[in-house]
Amino acid sequence: MTLTGRDLTIGYGSFIVGRGLDIEVKSGDVLALLGPNGSGKTTLLKTLLGLIAPLGGGVQIGGGDLHTLGAKDRARAIAYVPQSHAPTFAFPVESIVLMGRTAHGSLFSAPNAQDREAAMNALARLGIAHLAPRPYTMISGGERQLVLLARALAQDPQFIVLDEPTASLDFGNQGKLMDEIVRLGASGHGVLFTTHDPNHALRAASRAYLLRAGERIADGDTRSVLTRDNLETIYRAPVRVLTDAKDGTNAFLPG
Amino acid sequence: MPRSAAPGLLVASFVLLAGFALAFTLGRYPIGIGDVVTLMFAKATGSPSGLPEAVENVILQVRGPRVLAAVMVGAALAVAGTAFQGLFRNPLVSPDILGASSGAALGAVLGIFFSLGVFGIQGLAFAGGLLAVGAVYAIGSAISARDPVLILVLTGVVIGSLLGAGVGLVKYLADPYNQLPAITFWLLGSLAASGPSDLIPLFGPIALGTLVLLLLRWRMNAMSLPDEEARALGLPTGPLRVAIVSAATLVTSASVATAGIVGWVGLVVPHLARALVGPDFPRLLPTAAILGAGYLLLIDTLARTMAQIEIPLGILTAVLGTPFFIWLLASANRNWS
Amino acid sequence: MRLDRRSFLTGTAAVLLAPRRGFAATVQDGAGRVVTLPGTVERVFPAGPPAAILLYTLAPDLLLGWPRANRGPELEFLMPDVGRRPEVGRLTGRGNTANLEAVLLHKPDLILDSGSVTETYVSLADRVQDQTGISYALLNGRFDHIPQSYRTLGRLVGRERESEALAVYAEDTMKAVTGRTLKVPEAKRPLVYYARGPRGLETGLGGSINVETIEFVGARNVAGDQRGGLANVSIEQVLVWDPEVIVTIDQDFARDVRSDPRWASVAAVKAGRVHLSPKLPFGWVDFPPSVNRLIGLWWLGKILYPELFPEDLRDRTRDFHARFYHVTLSNKQIERVLAGRD
Repeated sequence: MTLTGRDLTIGYGSFIVGRGLDIEVKSGDVLALLGPNGSGKTTLLKTLLGLIAPLGGGVQIGGGDLHTLGAKDRARAIAYVPQSHAPTFAFPVESIVLMGRTAHGSLFSAPNAQDREAAMNALARLGIAHLAPRPYTMISGGERQLVLLARALAQDPQFIVLDEPTASLDFGNQGKLMDEIVRLGASGHGVLFTTHDPNHALRAASRAYLLRAGERIADGDTRSVLTRDNLETIYRAPVRVLTDAKDGTNAFLPG
Repeated sequence: MPRSAAPGLLVASFVLLAGFALAFTLGRYPIGIGDVVTLMFAKATGSPSGLPEAVENVILQVRGPRVLAAVMVGAALAVAGTAFQGLFRNPLVSPDILGASSGAALGAVLGIFFSLGVFGIQGLAFAGGLLAVGAVYAIGSAISARDPVLILVLTGVVIGSLLGAGVGLVKYLADPYNQLPAITFWLLGSLAASGPSDLIPLFGPIALGTLVLLLLRWRMNAMSLPDEEARALGLPTGPLRVAIVSAATLVTSASVATAGIVGWVGLVVPHLARALVGPDFPRLLPTAAILGAGYLLLIDTLARTMAQIEIPLGILTAVLGTPFFIWLLASANRNWS
Repeated sequence: MRLDRRSFLTGTAAVLLAPRRGFAATVQDGAGRVVTLPGTVERVFPAGPPAAILLYTLAPDLLLGWPRANRGPELEFLMPDVGRRPEVGRLTGRGNTANLEAVLLHKPDLILDSGSVTETYVSLADRVQDQTGISYALLNGRFDHIPQSYRTLGRLVGRERESEALAVYAEDTMKAVTGRTLKVPEAKRPLVYYARGPRGLETGLGGSINVETIEFVGARNVAGDQRGGLANVSIEQVLVWDPEVIVTIDQDFARDVRSDPRWASVAAVKAGRVHLSPKLPFGWVDFPPSVNRLIGLWWLGKILYPELFPEDLRDRTRDFHARFYHVTLSNKQIERVLAGRD
């Protein structure tokens, strides 16, 4: 299945953030979306999720218009993992993950055994099943991000869209999350994530899409797109490349 | 399940039962819980109760309706407060945040000002509450924004203030001899005048609104998330918001129309319920309903037994609610951040 | 005549020594304040409804207006031109709507107030007087001070003869009624509940101005143990008190209470002793608590001690309206007044 944005004009009301954007995520793909602040990454993300209506062009999923699907059907196809935020209420982790099953029930229904199983499986898959009874407010930022990812998994979607998933994670957890994203792609999900760190894109993404001021600068295979020139173009700042002598992998540092 | 809800529900039920027991034992007119039980048996079997007519009269016409009214209003305000705390993502929210109480107050004082009968006053109060929230919703929705909930709250605060000014104006123009005392007393909240004829107009809206909120409680956890997140989970947040606000406004307006302004119940009881069963809405809502019923019942019993004259409910709920709330804020074991 | 020095001196002396009505005088008001009066008092501003009624009964020509405009049914029972005088707002008391500048526009010679004479109201009176430069007289509005208030008012407006007549009438009424009622032993005095509001659950506590006349005729106010003003009670409390007589001014309550099952077991309801107080043009027991209550004393006597007051109230009503309200009532109008409805 493919999630496609065709000739998209994105923005809010009369405020246009980007034009003429073509973007595509296939099942099994991991696409990294990079760009400086204000480039329109998050707006593009939310437009592809169907949370904001495109101002021009359209978003299609599996050949059909995303727009025509109701919120529930959309949710069964695409799951959203926002940046982990300070919660208002101290729901237990299991309740948070169970919220992911909303689209699989009706308006008044309580979660059934299948829902609870899906939730526990999602937690187990990410290695955090032991957190199930703990209040969401009493776990670390990294654990919270994983819980939100578990919620997305419980939603049983085709596509998972993550907004800066490593933003609040410590160094060690960043690597772990990136590995998890690779696994998601390997298991057949289509994954799209935004990031400020080209190294994460290199590590986890098969494809990359570079944005600057609402315009596509480059997109395609990660290794060919993430070059020093391209990065310097989008970030308008010097970039250093370090290459590992043994296996030729690159790492980028601010210049 | 992280923690069983049973002990918490048990405590809430106990509070309600204690409320019933005390409500029928204490009071200006001497009756006992035994009399109540005797009368219930008699009514159920269709046989005479053997109680003096006056006692039967007090139980069926005076004390009984008042107890039922307190139970309904207490449950209604608690459930509305709980739902709003979730919807507005703020544990410090009460059912009046969208102006339902202010609108109902304006309706009622206008009714008193124009010397309408009791049903006229209650009807205007009920209509006032619904219209106020309707206006807030209409205005709030017309303002498109990233955070629809915040706009609603701000609009509610503004309209609530405006309606409050309206109430002030009516108080100013009212006849100080016969209207102003009635207005003042009404605004402070009381169930003193409850009778059987009040229960029917009260029961319908409260039953309907409470039922809707209880049915929707499985979605309330997700509705307490930011709007975009909730929509991404598959919830139709716009219509759900309308449904929750409508149901909560229905029960709040009916409560205010009957009992006047009784604050602090919709704010304090959800927290008490949270302390008993945790913040998960599916278990929180029923617990809050039971606890709210018992809470207001106990307070109303105080209101009518502390002195020969009636002590307004609003005063008692504030006096009891404020220190509790301060304690709540200060204590470490909080189920919200 | 030749303007010579002699005629000049004579003329001047004549002018200086002639008795003039317009000498500035001082009168002590009901609160013990010394009120300095201007030359002549021709325009009087009533500070509130009790003062307006008091003034209307003594000197209707001096009344500038009414704190609240009189409504249709009330106008029928007042002097047509005086009754229709404009609404001037209320100056003091609970809720004042009169703007001091508006008061000044009316150019009153005197502001008249009748009501509480506590420190608060005394200082309010002084303040208004200082601000406006208009003399402000404060009279004690309690029922037993009515004769005194009339006499003081008479001095204030130069109608001593007329005020003496009204004061004496008041004294005679009070003596006549209490002469009969106070003979009744304490235990036989009726238990009375004064019901206000459409549900009848607002009442006057002991000593409150609203139940003054009820207590004046010796009845026992069921709410009288607690002293104070107005208070709300529950129907249960009324059932415990079980009053023998209920007095109300609210016609909806008077009508509904007969069929309301909650009130059915109250002694007063069972005995049919729920009485709707007349109120045209002003209440006979309250609304407002002023001299209008004088005729109410006879009415209270009759409903509370029927055997002691067998006489018909119609003649007395006709007499009172003529003397105090300056109108002649037809028989039909008297029936209307006594019926208590609008």
